Amino acid sequence: MIILQNSGVPIYRQIKDQFKADILAEKYAQGEYLPSIRSLAKELKISVITTMKAYEELESEGLVTAVPGKGFYVNAQDSQMLREQHIRRVEAALSEALAAAEIAGMSDEEIRSTLEALLLLRDTSV
Amino acid sequence: METGYVIEGHGIGKRLGSFVLDIPEFHLPKGFATALIGENGAGKTTFLNILSGIRLDYKGQLQYFGQYSDKDRENNPLVKEHMGYTGPGNYFLPQWKVKQVAEVNRLLFQNFHEDRFKRLCAELAIDTGNGVGKKVKELSDGNRMKLMIAGVLARDTELLIMDEPASPLDPLMRDKLCEMIRDYLAEDEGNRSVFFSTHNIADMENVTDYAIIMTHGRIAEEGFVEDLKEKYLMVKGNAEDIPKAQSALYSVSTNKYGFEGICLAENLDALAGCSVNVETPSLSQISVAVMRKYSQLGGVRDKEA
Repeated sequence: MIILQNSGVPIYRQIKDQFKADILAEKYAQGEYLPSIRSLAKELKISVITTMKAYEELESEGLVTAVPGKGFYVNAQDSQMLREQHIRRVEAALSEALAAAEIAGMSDEEIRSTLEALLLLRDTSV
Repeated sequence: METGYVIEGHGIGKRLGSFVLDIPEFHLPKGFATALIGENGAGKTTFLNILSGIRLDYKGQLQYFGQYSDKDRENNPLVKEHMGYTGPGNYFLPQWKVKQVAEVNRLLFQNFHEDRFKRLCAELAIDTGNGVGKKVKELSDGNRMKLMIAGVLARDTELLIMDEPASPLDPLMRDKLCEMIRDYLAEDEGNRSVFFSTHNIADMENVTDYAIIMTHGRIAEEGFVEDLKEKYLMVKGNAEDIPKAQSALYSVSTNKYGFEGICLAENLDALAGCSVNVETPSLSQISVAVMRKYSQLGGVRDKEA
């Protein structure tokens, strides 16, 4: 695991993202416990609260379950559920974009054409 | 968030001349490393001395490990068996040799492991003299602190109270200290706690879970570091927005070309329309902002209840 101190990405998010990638790549078996928060903090040379926050984020995304006094184990990864989670992220990002569009005073038509342009750009760059 | 407190205090107070320590409520989270931060004279040492039982003349109630009172701390040896203290004072008599420090620890505490003490002395590179045995008074401040740290870590405790452990240490040893605190916490997952005071916030940030910032004998701010980093934002902007920043920010410093300061995340909207750069502050930046704010106000005293 690589932790960058000055990347601008909070350390807890770097940890969360790497565990998430590993879990989705099935590097952890269903029901397997993640390293304890304090042993991970010790290995990564960071504070306990930072690893704890990373694990809590994984829990809120439904990837792991917390067992008080025992730790965090990896949930069965349901592909339908994961897809829904990603859709929720897309909705959240689009809502944020709409809020920005409102500040910029964009019309609905302008928003649609921007999205169309971005889709076109994506399809041509592949 | 895991709950549970290793020490709880109610109505802790102490008057020393014009200085007043006044801590109505105190909760030290169990299973974490907590930093006590504050300017010189804020009352950190007084507070730690009260908690560790060095100072017995104070008002208020304390509860340790969820079951023992401060009377128990003095009367029931079991309580101090579970606690370790390191500080700047002359805890060991100056004429003692390192070997005698081990002997005294063994006499005082049942949970002292001499072999571990020897290993820690070697690990911390404590200069014990070429086999002859140096006296405590012949050790440098840094080596005296390392000797105290070796002494407490050689015991099986659940709580360490450390008054300025990093100050006399060189950068390499500060890093080692952080490592040892993490090892200590990891060895008994969730059951061990550390409470240390420090001026070297940046050096200790990667081992700080919970922070308590004291000014003028009171707690001005406290919280888990990750929560504090969401509560406060570091904001930088250009000179033309200085007037707006001065009214909107929690604490701000300006120069000819612009400003930088700490803003409560909930107040960021007040800077709408300004061209600003927002980043997550370090614990050190948050601490300085809180201390600056209250030192301008002349204390926390007038803060509404």
